[in-house]
Formats: sequence, C-alpha cells, structure tokens
Amino acid sequence: MDEFNDNEIAKLLRLKRYEQPPPGYFENFLHEFHRRQRDELLRQPLWRICLDRAHDFMVGLNLPAVTSHPAAVAAVLVCAAVISLKVYRTPAPGGPVAEDRPALTGQTRQVFVAPGPSADAEWTLASPVATRFFNASSLRHPTESAFTHTSAMPPRYVLDSVPVSYETTFKF
Amino acid sequence: MRRLSNFKRTQYFGLLRAGLTGASVVAIAIGYSKPTHAVASEEQSASSISRQVKEIFERSAKAVVKIHAIDPHGELCGTGFFVDPTGTLYTAYSVGGEADNFTVEFNGRKFPAHQVVTDIRSGLAMLTIDNATPALPIGKSDELEVATPVVTIGFPLDLGETPNFGMIAGFDHKFLGRYFSTTHLRVNATTQRGEAGAPLLNLKGEVVGIIVSSLENGSSCYAVPIEAAEKIRSDFVRFGEVRHGWIGANVTEAPARVEGSRAEITEISTTPPANDSGLRAGDILLQVGKVKVREPEDVLDASFFLTAGDVIPITVARGGEKLTFDIQADTHPAVKNVPIQDGTQLPASATLKFNRAIPLSLQSSPQRTP
Repeated sequence: MDEFNDNEIAKLLRLKRYEQPPPGYFENFLHEFHRRQRDELLRQPLWRICLDRAHDFMVGLNLPAVTSHPAAVAAVLVCAAVISLKVYRTPAPGGPVAEDRPALTGQTRQVFVAPGPSADAEWTLASPVATRFFNASSLRHPTESAFTHTSAMPPRYVLDSVPVSYETTFKF
Repeated sequence: MRRLSNFKRTQYFGLLRAGLTGASVVAIAIGYSKPTHAVASEEQSASSISRQVKEIFERSAKAVVKIHAIDPHGELCGTGFFVDPTGTLYTAYSVGGEADNFTVEFNGRKFPAHQVVTDIRSGLAMLTIDNATPALPIGKSDELEVATPVVTIGFPLDLGETPNFGMIAGFDHKFLGRYFSTTHLRVNATTQRGEAGAPLLNLKGEVVGIIVSSLENGSSCYAVPIEAAEKIRSDFVRFGEVRHGWIGANVTEAPARVEGSRAEITEISTTPPANDSGLRAGDILLQVGKVKVREPEDVLDASFFLTAGDVIPITVARGGEKLTFDIQADTHPAVKNVPIQDGTQLPASATLKFNRAIPLSLQSSPQRTP
C-alpha cells in the first residue's frame, strides 16, 4: 500500500472507469469458467482424480456411522457375494454355438446348446431366431407325447350327432 | 210433455244399451274363463305327471351309471344302466364299442368294467362289472305310441344324474336318406353330450330304449328299441357272440298291395340259403319270423332280428295263395367275408371276433379297426 498513495489509486480508478470487456465476454463467462476449471482438474493424474472422488464419496456416506451396524454390513457383503457369483456363472454373450450337435431335421440346424460337459444330452428345437437355452430335462420326450396328450385332455362327453346307420337297401 | 217424453225415451234406450254391453262383456269373460274344477284338474294332472317322473327317477337312478373309458383319442364319458343283478349293463356303441379301460361310477364308488359284447349294427355295447347291482326292468317298445310320455336318466357333461321328460315323437326307419338297421324311436326330449347310452323309460319305470344319438341341437334324440339290445344279449348268451342272420333276398316296393303288403321279392341270391329255399322273385313278402311285413322298410326289422342258424318261417303271397317256407338263416355276408387292408378276405370263422368292428355298409362308414 506504500507504493500507491491515494492520488494514484484515484487516478487508476478514473482510468479503469472507461475500460470495457471485449464483446461476448459476459455471455461466455460461465462457459469459459467451467472450461478453465476442467483444464485445471485434468492437469492432475487420473489416479489422483479417482482417489479424490472416492474420498469425497466416502465422506458423503458417513462411513463410520454405517459400519456401526454389523447386520447391515453383513447383508451388503452377502448380496455382493451372490451377485458376483451370478455374474461369474452367466455365459458370455455370443457363446459357443454347437453346430455339430445332432439335429432332428435339416430345418432344425440351428440348435443352441449350453456349454459344458452335459451338453451332449441336452438339445432343443429352437427357432432360428431363438437365442435362449431351455433345459432339456423340462422338455417332453417326443415318444411320450401321445400319453401326455391323453392325460391332459378333458374327457369327451359322448353323444353322436347322427344315429349309426349302415343299411342301404332292403336285403335280408 | 212431448219433449219430456222424448228425453225419457232417449235415457231409457241409453240405459238399455249400456246394460246390454255390460252383460255381453260379462258373458264373454265368463265364457273365456275356465271353470274352477277344470283348472284344478289340470293342476292335479301336472302334479300327477311330476310325481310319476320323480318316482321313476328315484327308483331307477340307482341302476344308471356313468361310464369312463379310454380310446385312442383320449378319455370319454357316457351313460349306461344295469339290466341284471350280476352287473351286466347296456350302453351305446359310441361309449363302449371301441374303447377300453372302462370304469363305472356306481353307488358312489368306481368299479373297473370290461367289455362283454358290442354290435355296431345296432349301435349298442354290453359291459359288466364284478359286483351285485340293481337292475332296471325291461319293457316293450312295441307298446309305445306316438305321444307316449317317456323319461330318460343320464349324465350330461360332468354333471350328476339328470332326469329328463319327453314323449315319443315317431318310429323312424331312416334319417336323412340313410336307413337304420332297425326301427329307431325318435324322442322329443332334450339331450346333451355324455348321455349316450342313457335308458329310455316308460312311465312304469321299464326300459324301452337306449339313447344313441341326438338330433338338431339336442332338442330331441334317437333311441334304439330295447328289443334290439335284448337280441344282442340273447345271441351272446346262446353263442357267446352276436350272430346276425341272412337269407339272401332283395325286396323292393310292389306296384300294388297284395294281402296288405307292398314288399315284393325282386332277386334271390344264387347261394344258400335263398337259392334252394323255395322263394322266388315276384313273391310278395308277408311275414319273416314274427315280424309282419307291410312295406319294404319292414324288412329292416325282419332282417335285424334274424339269427344265424335259426330256422325262420317266411310267408309269401304267390298266385293268390299264401306259402310258408322254413329257411335256416346263414351268417350275414358282411360278417362272413370281411375285406382287410391287403385285399384278401378272412373266412367267417376267423372274423367272428371282429364282429363288433365291421360296418355292414362299406360305402359310408369310416374305416374301423378292432
């Protein structure tokens, strides 16, 4: 403050009074501010950014309060374990198509089977657009269809609509 | 005074006219209204019929059963009824003819049943269960007349025992151009699916027929006379099988009635028993066994009740005199030679067991395999 006395300050202020920002400065001010902010952040390494964000997230969760509930923590861990197990067992999309599997007819060439050692015993007559695998154990064997058909059908209540008649001429 | 007199006369005629109109209305009303005793009589009559039907149902329902069976198309359900105390029951061929694994619901329990004999010519089947059973008395369909009241008891759909009341509407030889094997009773009683094989009862509670088919929307039905079922049963008792008889004569309508008959023999078979029976073409058929013949259609009944091996007296009119020939009936040709798929034919002795599966006319019947 010693370098400037009041008169100099007053003189500078008078000069600054007539200074104007360039055209569009105020319109682009917010956009420019964010851009510079991002540039400033990206100067840091990626691991640092992730660490900072994780730290902020954990602080926001108030982790010490959550860990005070062992049951909740245990439940979260079990869920995480189950989900991870499921994810591990799910076949990868676009899995192997066993084109050398036996098909019933030429029209059922696209037979989708599950991977694994039991795939030989499992087959399904999926349409060409079908991509889902149905467990063969739930399928009805073709030779059993007649029996299951009769047991599933409701009974027929019998009464002919016309009489039985086989005589055509007057012969005796 | 004159004016007063005119007024009185006008008033007098007005009153007279009003009185006559009122009297007419009263008279008409009395004329149209039924006497009290007539209304009471009608109510009493309706009550009497209702009581009779109820009594028949209560007495007969215990001998009517629901039949379950399995055929190549699945499970089927129909009706049947016991005719003797050893468990023999009658039903329709459509129920018991070509199925197996029979189960009979009787007295709140289920009993396995087995097929005794079936006859597609009459449309009937006979089953039996190994149990003592009630039985319906057998009546005479000959005593029925048009408008005779009848009762049926059946198991429609998956419902319980259901009585139905109707009347005999006719005695038909044919339906839509197709001749029956024997006269059928047309009954004006509503029927529903599941009632094939149901008994047709007269108001004495006796069986006079067996329901075999419905007609137009189930508003009426056809029943085979109980005598046809008794013929099947009689054949089975005598021979262990159904034996339809055959003489070998063709009959058509004669131009004129002779001795009350218009059934003229037009052709005699060249094979026994007709060829050496004494019958000739041109004879007017008067009687076959116990069946009197008046029209060519009567030959259907005469033919149906023939039994192979029986000696049948046949009476004809020839040259103004009546002649009677005793002829031993042969086995019906449709049973004797049965065409099979490869074109060869089986002899009668080998085909007797296929009797139930042989349509007598091969033109309109579906192919059936035993």
